[in-house]
Amino acid sequence: MSNSTELGRRDFFKNAALGAAGLVGTTAAAGAAEAPASTSTPAPPSVLMPTEAQEFGPLGRPTTATAQAPVAAVQAGAAAPTPASDFMVDVLKKIGFDYAAINPGSTFQGLHESCINYGQNTAPELLTCLHEEAAAAMAHGYAKAAGKPMLTMFHGTVGLLHSSMALFQAWADRVPVFVIVGHHRNPSGVINRPHSAQDMGSIVRDFVKFDDEATTLERFAEAAMRAYRIAMTPPMGPVLLTVSAELQESMIANRTSMRIPELVMASPPQGETGAVREAAKLLVNAETPLIQIAKMGRTPRAWDLLIELADTLQAPVDVMGYSSWQKFPSWHPLYGSGGRDYTPDVTLGLEVTDMSVQARAARASGKKTISISAEHLFQHSNIHDYGRYADVDLAIGGDGEATLPSLIDEIRKLITPDRKAAFAARGQRVAAAHKQAQIAAIQDARHGWDASPISVPRMIAELAEQVKNDDWAVVSGHQFTGDWQRRLMNHDKPYRYNGDCGGFGIGYDTPASVGAALAHKKAGRLSLAVVGDGDLNFSPGVLWTAAHHKIPLLLVVHNNRAYHAEVMIIQRMAGQRGRGSSRSHIGNVFTDPTINYASLAKSYGMYSEGPVEHPRDLAGAYQRALAKVRAGEPALVDVISQPR
Amino acid sequence: MPRSIHSFVFAGLSASLLLTGAAILEAQQPAAAPAAAAPLAPPTGDATRGKGLFEQTLRCYACHGFDGQTGSPRLVPMARSQEVFLAYVRKPATQGMPSFRDAAERDLIDVYAYIRSIPTAAPAADSIPLLKSIVDRRTAAK
Repeated sequence: MSNSTELGRRDFFKNAALGAAGLVGTTAAAGAAEAPASTSTPAPPSVLMPTEAQEFGPLGRPTTATAQAPVAAVQAGAAAPTPASDFMVDVLKKIGFDYAAINPGSTFQGLHESCINYGQNTAPELLTCLHEEAAAAMAHGYAKAAGKPMLTMFHGTVGLLHSSMALFQAWADRVPVFVIVGHHRNPSGVINRPHSAQDMGSIVRDFVKFDDEATTLERFAEAAMRAYRIAMTPPMGPVLLTVSAELQESMIANRTSMRIPELVMASPPQGETGAVREAAKLLVNAETPLIQIAKMGRTPRAWDLLIELADTLQAPVDVMGYSSWQKFPSWHPLYGSGGRDYTPDVTLGLEVTDMSVQARAARASGKKTISISAEHLFQHSNIHDYGRYADVDLAIGGDGEATLPSLIDEIRKLITPDRKAAFAARGQRVAAAHKQAQIAAIQDARHGWDASPISVPRMIAELAEQVKNDDWAVVSGHQFTGDWQRRLMNHDKPYRYNGDCGGFGIGYDTPASVGAALAHKKAGRLSLAVVGDGDLNFSPGVLWTAAHHKIPLLLVVHNNRAYHAEVMIIQRMAGQRGRGSSRSHIGNVFTDPTINYASLAKSYGMYSEGPVEHPRDLAGAYQRALAKVRAGEPALVDVISQPR
Repeated sequence: MPRSIHSFVFAGLSASLLLTGAAILEAQQPAAAPAAAAPLAPPTGDATRGKGLFEQTLRCYACHGFDGQTGSPRLVPMARSQEVFLAYVRKPATQGMPSFRDAAERDLIDVYAYIRSIPTAAPAADSIPLLKSIVDRRTAAK
């Protein structure tokens, strides 16, 4: 390092290097602090960042003084100063964060120090993460399980860039994550400069819902409250708040005079009454209505409302594909799409991002489609996660969950005895079709039952058996295990399944499962995750985080030793070009050498079993691992599995 | 594991790749169709060599599982004759199935022999206590 004042990425020694200057960040402030203290008058207390009026002046333009020396100044006659980041911690405590997932960095060392010392490392409690992507993904999984955001704090540019993939997934999944990122307003040195940016938020602006930079403490408090409210208002999403190191490390002269505003949440948008009435009319008059749900179920109340809607209409509920939060019981008689012969004449989409296929098909055949979604109210324009344009017959801008009570009321008003009888008959037909199909689907697990490598359904079925008397929650996604979890495990509670990654990028499952398991820990639930070996390799360090923070979670590694779908797509591509399949493993398979995930877990301090190659050994491995989990520890079982 | 949205979408749209629910059931029908009216002629290839091709070279296991039973569609019991099988894998009827038009006939005949050598009878669900208990719970669910 060429300059002793430069700050390393994870340099915890800055405070010591600054010596008496301590938390005072500018040359001027340091000079003041170094002034002789033994005078007849008390040492002049520091003053924090200027107030908004001081900084911007009556015309709202930055003042010369602000631009030149935006950090601490010294005034006489006030009480002992306190670090500005202590005030920030008070704000964070008022919002109510339980946890803050971090990977340390010098641009937020002020906040870091205040959290652990001033805040006593509670609410928020810092979670030590070994990679920012893991930290953000933990927050993603946590938010869905806890129903509230986790705070994350990242280093300027480098930390934020590391986190960006997981923030993208949270964005695509419409999940709130609260990010604070540090930087330097006036960076000096070759290390600090790359950690600072003119517009930090622009790094992730395409996939955060809101970002702001707080240049004064008043604005920090307001921006934090605003960001939290925006994150939680449907459609939900990650938010970012940039806070300079200079602001964090400046001093407040009189903390008691500084006000923290109240956190006032916005009520979720509700569908307009006339449109909701029209939707009810279409649904009541339909002969074969279908309810489709995706990002539906912000709160457990949605679970009850969806059951109420389905029961009222006696209509099937299709939980859609991997992007769904699946907030409907998987063994409910109406769970499904109605059976093979059921062709919907009215399809109601609740928080379904893209209904273009349904809408086009319906228009071609005289059917109707309805979309109720907060997606109609807010979109970004770069990433195409919003899908194609859907020319539905009725697009209702409103949160699905918030709109359901009025929709159900309107439906009930329109139901005549004749319609009620028709609904009942329909419900019986649908339930019978679903039951037959679901039992057949469960019985399909018999194929390859004793195979080694172990079949995916055997892997899940053995797990289901071990936890059948527990209050369990599957905290991983299921895009790599087909729908075997849904088939073999009765998802009869709103927390049984935590949804998938959102953006269909790999690396979500393992850290998000750890985050969700942390949320379930308080409720005493048994968290289960089946994660791919490919996924685990993206952020294996989160195993240490789980072990260190004693987050009880059973991680089952679906170890097929490959990016398996890619094996298939390269086979297909080679076949199209007449070049054969013999090289399709190159770039896709990791077998030489094979990776031992049980050993990996042990190295991170986590109990592990495996690799388990034969199904006869599964039950024992699960039992031993689950004993650890039930005792409050994480555990991993490495299962050598069939490709899919 | 799928690495990207590209591969996911491809797999999701392919008839024989990442299918779920009823779609799986439907996709599994053609290859595992009920026995044809006439019994199939015995295979003429080398099943042992075919196993190596299945797992290591042509990598049929990728979609169909190492034993031809755990993927989709299932290959056992094989309903196609050797001649029909060869024609099919060279020019598949579905987009999800890669074309093996470049593969040597001898290789495909050996793979066919291997598939025909795989024991065909999966145990009945009722004979597997663990699976039966899940079926019973689902049956009892309201």
